[in-house]
Amino acid sequence: MIGALVVVVQVALAALAVYGVVLTVLNRPPDVWTKRAVGLVVALLVLQAAIGAVQVFSGTALPETTTFLIYLVVSVCVLPIATQFATAEPTRWGGAVVAVGAIATAVAVWRLQGLWVPGA
Amino acid sequence: MPEAARATSSGPGRVLIAVYGVFALSATARAGVQIATRFAEAPVPYLLSAVAGVVYILATIGLAGHGPGARRLAWCAVVFELVGVLVVGTLTVFDTGDFPDDTVWSAYGRGYGFIPLVLPFIGLWWLRHTGRR
Repeated sequence: MIGALVVVVQVALAALAVYGVVLTVLNRPPDVWTKRAVGLVVALLVLQAAIGAVQVFSGTALPETTTFLIYLVVSVCVLPIATQFATAEPTRWGGAVVAVGAIATAVAVWRLQGLWVPGA
Repeated sequence: MPEAARATSSGPGRVLIAVYGVFALSATARAGVQIATRFAEAPVPYLLSAVAGVVYILATIGLAGHGPGARRLAWCAVVFELVGVLVVGTLTVFDTGDFPDDTVWSAYGRGYGFIPLVLPFIGLWWLRHTGRR
């Protein structure tokens, strides 16, 4: 885990959540730009997960390795699933679904950071 | 001929399903880790976590599904969830001794921003709202 990347990821997730809520408020269904925004955020999450996994498997000792790895997988998987569900029915509520996915992912990343206690 | 009830899986219902899905995932994963790694420490709360996870999964399936069977499943799961969060919440507030480790319903779901307490009320309202003709 890299502190600066965690900050970037959290800011991106917050922006995505706000964007999703704005879509719902403006009564607009998710469009191709929503998918691009999600794609960008997921790319950041994949990068973070790859770095975290490499660190763990190359010997960084954590107090709860299993839980950390589960959160790592969850942090990557939630947004693509939520976005698929959000765009399956193109209504204003799709944006709110993306926002729920973004907030849940932000909580997962926050937990990841709490579990990142190398050498403990 | 009576008009069919509205689908629970449409419009704002999709947001509700997304929240239930997140809780189904987090409660089940949490219980899985607790039971797999340290079940002997606190079997009752860990089993309770697993029950909560299953209830959230059933509620998600019920709300996302179509027809009277799915609606009945959703009703049962959400009512069970409401009873669960109220009973476990009250027990943990008044007697912490029996619950050495937190579950999703401990202290009315305080560890989860009290969403577990609010969610069943919204779920029941949504089932009632879509059930009307």
